[in-house]
Amino acid sequence: MLPLLAERCFLCHGPDEESRESGLRLDTRRGALDGGVFPGDPDASPIIRRVTSKDPDLQMPPPGSGKNPLTAAEISLLQDWIEKGANYELHWSFRPPERPKIPGSNFSRRARSAIDHFVWARLDQKGLTPAPPADRHILIRRVTLDLTGLPPSIEEVDAFVNDQAPDAYEKLVDRLLASPQYGERWALWWLDLARYADSNGYESDRSRSIWSWRDWIINALNIDMPFDQFTIEQIAGDMLPDATPAQRIATGFHRNTWINEEGGHDWEQFRYESVVDRVHTTSTVFLGLTMACAQCHDHKYDPISQREYWQLFAFLNNADEPDFWVSDPKIRERQQQIDAEVARRIAGRAAKFPPLDPATTTSTDQESRQKHLKTKFRAWLQDPSNRPIHWTLLDPRSAKSAGNATMTELDDHSILVTGDRPEVDSYQIVYELNSPRVTGFRLEALPDARLPNYGPGRGSFNGDGAFVITEFQVDVVGLAPSPAVDSALETKPRPNPTQQRLEFVHAYASYKEQEISHSIDGNKLTHWFIAGGAGQRHVAVFETKGPQEFPAGTRIRVTIPQNFVHQQTLGRFRLFVTGTPGPLHPNPRPTSIDLLLLKDPEARTEEDQISLQDYYLSIAPELESYNDEIQKLQASRPRFPTTFIFKERKQKDKRATHIHVRGEYRRPADVVSAAVPAVLHPLAAGAPRNRLTLAKWLVDEQNPLVARVIANQLWQSFFGQGIVSTSENFGVQGAPPTHRQLLDWLAVELRQGGWSLKSLQRQIVMSSVYRQSSRIPPELAKRDPQNVLLARGPRLRVDAETIRDIALEASGLLVETVGGPSVFPPQPAEAGETFGGFKWKPSTGADRYRRGLYTFRKRGGPYAAFATFDAPAPNTCTVSRGRSNTPLQALAQLNDLVVLEASKAMARRVLRNFPNSVTDGVRRAWRLALSRPPTESELTALIEFHKRQLQRLEDGSLNAEAIYGATANDDEQLRALAAMTTVARLLLNLDETITKE
Amino acid sequence: MALATLFGEAHLFGAKPNTPESGNIHPHTAKASHLKPRAKNVIFLFMAGGPSQLELFDHKPELNKYDGQQVPSEVIEGFDLPFIERDAALMASPVSYTRHGECGAEISEMLPHLGSVADELAIVKSVQTDAFNHAPAQIFLHTGHLQLGKPSIGSWVTYGLGSDSRDLPAYVVLGQTAVSGGSSCFNCGFLPTVHQGVPFRSQGAPVLFVENPAGVDDQLQRDTLNTIRRINSERLRTVHDPEIAARISAYEMSFRLQTSAPELMELSQESAQTLAMYGADPVQPSFAGQCLLARRLVERGVRFVEVSLSGWDHHSDVVGSVRKISQKVDQACAALVKDLKQRGLLDDTLVIWGGEFGRTPMVENNPALGRRRGRDHHPNAFAMWLAGGGIRAGTTIGKTDDMGYQVVEDPVHIHDLQATVLHLLGMDHEQLTYSYQGRDFRLTDVGGQVVSKLLA
Repeated sequence: MLPLLAERCFLCHGPDEESRESGLRLDTRRGALDGGVFPGDPDASPIIRRVTSKDPDLQMPPPGSGKNPLTAAEISLLQDWIEKGANYELHWSFRPPERPKIPGSNFSRRARSAIDHFVWARLDQKGLTPAPPADRHILIRRVTLDLTGLPPSIEEVDAFVNDQAPDAYEKLVDRLLASPQYGERWALWWLDLARYADSNGYESDRSRSIWSWRDWIINALNIDMPFDQFTIEQIAGDMLPDATPAQRIATGFHRNTWINEEGGHDWEQFRYESVVDRVHTTSTVFLGLTMACAQCHDHKYDPISQREYWQLFAFLNNADEPDFWVSDPKIRERQQQIDAEVARRIAGRAAKFPPLDPATTTSTDQESRQKHLKTKFRAWLQDPSNRPIHWTLLDPRSAKSAGNATMTELDDHSILVTGDRPEVDSYQIVYELNSPRVTGFRLEALPDARLPNYGPGRGSFNGDGAFVITEFQVDVVGLAPSPAVDSALETKPRPNPTQQRLEFVHAYASYKEQEISHSIDGNKLTHWFIAGGAGQRHVAVFETKGPQEFPAGTRIRVTIPQNFVHQQTLGRFRLFVTGTPGPLHPNPRPTSIDLLLLKDPEARTEEDQISLQDYYLSIAPELESYNDEIQKLQASRPRFPTTFIFKERKQKDKRATHIHVRGEYRRPADVVSAAVPAVLHPLAAGAPRNRLTLAKWLVDEQNPLVARVIANQLWQSFFGQGIVSTSENFGVQGAPPTHRQLLDWLAVELRQGGWSLKSLQRQIVMSSVYRQSSRIPPELAKRDPQNVLLARGPRLRVDAETIRDIALEASGLLVETVGGPSVFPPQPAEAGETFGGFKWKPSTGADRYRRGLYTFRKRGGPYAAFATFDAPAPNTCTVSRGRSNTPLQALAQLNDLVVLEASKAMARRVLRNFPNSVTDGVRRAWRLALSRPPTESELTALIEFHKRQLQRLEDGSLNAEAIYGATANDDEQLRALAAMTTVARLLLNLDETITKE
Repeated sequence: MALATLFGEAHLFGAKPNTPESGNIHPHTAKASHLKPRAKNVIFLFMAGGPSQLELFDHKPELNKYDGQQVPSEVIEGFDLPFIERDAALMASPVSYTRHGECGAEISEMLPHLGSVADELAIVKSVQTDAFNHAPAQIFLHTGHLQLGKPSIGSWVTYGLGSDSRDLPAYVVLGQTAVSGGSSCFNCGFLPTVHQGVPFRSQGAPVLFVENPAGVDDQLQRDTLNTIRRINSERLRTVHDPEIAARISAYEMSFRLQTSAPELMELSQESAQTLAMYGADPVQPSFAGQCLLARRLVERGVRFVEVSLSGWDHHSDVVGSVRKISQKVDQACAALVKDLKQRGLLDDTLVIWGGEFGRTPMVENNPALGRRRGRDHHPNAFAMWLAGGGIRAGTTIGKTDDMGYQVVEDPVHIHDLQATVLHLLGMDHEQLTYSYQGRDFRLTDVGGQVVSKLLA
């Protein structure tokens, strides 16, 4: 009854309060009884009068509503339901699955598993008969493609076909499930759901590094990580106790959203959009619910209110989105080598100081070197141009970001800025001055591994780590209410400092000096712009107009507007003050060295002296080239790759979640707290309302949906369609399951089988249903064209990536390296052109022949051949791909460079083994592409084709060199290779080659 | 076996609605209503970057009064400005305007040729959109949604109407496809892949992969295809899967595309007069050549042609820059309208000209970004024009305030524009839906009203 009411009535009489007409609600019994339905009395029930009425003013659904009137059969169904008491049952998918009783059928003898009984009982009812088992050649290709995404080798085919053991197939399945290619094949399923891509999307569409997450998926699938753990780690791995690096990497799942980096964007708006996408993806992937509908209004069909949508949003609204360095032992080893070498060279610096008079001293004369060094070092110490400035580090009392970034004070009193990443920002930091005299301030921008490209800025657009200082402003705001000062006040009141903005007359910088004056010019359009100096410390000094006197405890507020584009704001910085008379031109020395220089030479300890000399050695002109070498070595220190992760914000920084009117970003309304929809199972009692709790809730054993939804997705991968054909929607509007009991049985198997995906997949491929022949008897084609009843095996064109993999595997070109950065197979140059000058630079060497899974997923311009074969643009969560059949696909397969390279390699491969027999060679090539042996007529067709091409190559109307290239021993061999290349190209274009039959 | 009957061969490139598309597991029924179609085809001249309406169509002499003055804060309250400051000054346009044609449409000196077809145009000076960054605004213009993954207007149109071309894709994109919004602008979203916008190059082989590989001549290609058909047909007789039949006809059609495409691209077939009218060189690719190609595509039954041109993002020297790009655009656009008219195609072909947003009446000066006398993005009020295909020719609708900041009369939201386009093609924008992930989606999301003032 529910689907009928949902389809015809809920749009106006459903859960959505706002669009509800006449106050009548038909999705709950209570609502229906309140004016629409009189249980037991259909004739008196207004609903029956309305649906049977011919009066356009009364008739329901109203004419023009786009909803068809009820048929006679539907009306009688409705009457019957009211007659029997108008009982409402919870929609099937909201009730937990129970293990159903296994039915019997006429075909029970052939059944191997419960799956067969469920499917065949239904066939029996329909008067259909299961198909005979598939031919063994076909079967091994089918199951190998399904479990590994690759075709079997000829040897594997022959071994299986000839294996008479009763468990031959079982052994095959177990071998495939254990192969590393299994994880690659099934990662493709998950990558579609996760909208994985290697670029950020929107205008800039910059490349991103998140392949470590993709590799985490491959590994998790290969080790058969239980699906509940698989889910929890991806949704909230960062929040697990003592989270491992792998668990943090797993949270990349929800970092696969778009990032807008266009200049002048509203960062928070696009963060909001990405959380919207996360809610949508979470509910689609794990619940099979179309939660997105409730973003703007109560769900029209399912019992999910708008408030509940935003309550779910709240769980996902509290994460920061940092990069994470992924440790790699090989890189670490190299880093350690370099560090050791750098330390060795630094230690050896003094010994490399040139001797006093190189002409007369031997190179081993250390005494002369020492003497020379001593002289120069002393001269440096006494050089008046090295005048030290007494910088005092200030301790921030409070810090605020106008753009809601998170400001954290570190031990060295610097402020680290993380969290929100507004396009522009302005910081306000309050300090206290405890030195009486002020002549200037020094702002020190510090590199940090937590910042993009090590900072010191937060910019991550064409200048990672960049920042600007638009203005540097210091306001004297008053006296600090410190207890020490207050007690002093009792005896002698301090003069209150005048509230004022300090005037700066000079600004100096250690980098981009010519621009630093912009930071004190009062112009909000000009900046001190640090780009290109990533990973380094930068210093700016602001000199006041003459010395200023302030009482101890004077509070100043430093304001730093950073008003450019591309999030180029300061990431880590600290502030010093000085009373040393100007000019305050900064020097590159660390503060500690200046403090030592300020010390009375007599009072310097031996350690001080060593520190000073070490510093001197690092800048001595005599050692310039030696030090340059050290710097080069340091610069060559490799970094770990990064990946995108989630990091839950601290309680104090928790974001408020609002309901948004009509889902609009700019219309926040009531604040809500995290909660799950009431129609589903409750959260664990007493659990904190956070993302980890949500993750656990998703895979809670009480969840009626998740096991069904996942089992259905897996089923869809094998059979082309789910038991619920709307695999993304298990709600009231979704398609009813074709085999409800089977679905529940699979769901219970999955949950009770320790959430093992591999065992469920094993159950499916071991079934006789799966092993049926996929031939379509004409009678069946009429009765069940979509193969809903499964009276035959699946016959489906393989996915875009698999089409590539088949060609590479058949040709022997495939490089089976698992994981690593994404690669760029060749494609026509214009296909890879996108806004902003991105160029698709084809990979060379091994990376040219990696599996399709590893092809760089560019949001702004997806890899052309894959897009042609229905690979989804990685924009949003995709639960099922289209499977079209178009002329553009034919062109791609006929003319794509990848297929051509594979054809040539296939020709080489075949001719290496069968240099003398065309028939054997052609048969071999056939089997490389299709696994099974050709029929006589198929073979004849190919041999004739080969003959015609060879003829033309010999008479010169075809050019062997043009077709194959010029790498053969002699003309005859070249012609043979060219002819076989044309055969291989043909084979890779056969329907069956790109079909799982 | 008659292959064509197994699969609607003629419509493989743009499957007609209600044709069961094999393997598509989503319900796929276009609900085109019974409106009388006014247009059959669309040529969308997409001006990416945001053309300045103030230098082209929206004549604001009153702005001279305010030139150099700070924009009143109440005017911009509640609106976002991506680059400029909220106290930016207003900038008058030095461009002169003339009235054209019998209708007396005001068009600036930048577009003298367009003025000559003013009586064919409907100029809208009051278009509004929902986004002020390029990528989101371009995606919104094309798909009606700010969220990603929704079909482009071209995909919706071919989904609703199918295609009349046997040999060519139903939705073709010419020109600069590398726009800010990326492939999402031309993507079919959740609609079947057959509705994807197919980029055509304007020189050489138009379609990706359409050229035979090195050494493969037509005879070898034909022989290859014949043998593929022979083997596929044998398999079809064995396994009876209609998908094989579909593949056979797809391969046949690919060959036809290979043979017809070079002819299509041969602009030298056009008369010298026509080439001169467009200002097109038969060899050098240009926007003019693409406009001409658009006409050739429409002639061959392609349903939706988009000509994409970047370069309208004038944050600096807006007057000089608009002048420069207009020289590239003006003559060709006017020629397209004239040419379609002369050939009797204009009645059936709807031409749309416009970008993702307009530009602010305030000046953009930003030394750090090297910008001087430019204009920033402006989603609140901008201009487009339409011609042909049931459009009320010789009209100008919409009015903005004295500063050209806000619409004060006849606002036309992007959804309204989209609804109008579908209406002209005989489709009700509320009925052209596709059920995906539990919801009936449409081009116009939950908005859109047909702009009756634009209808003939």
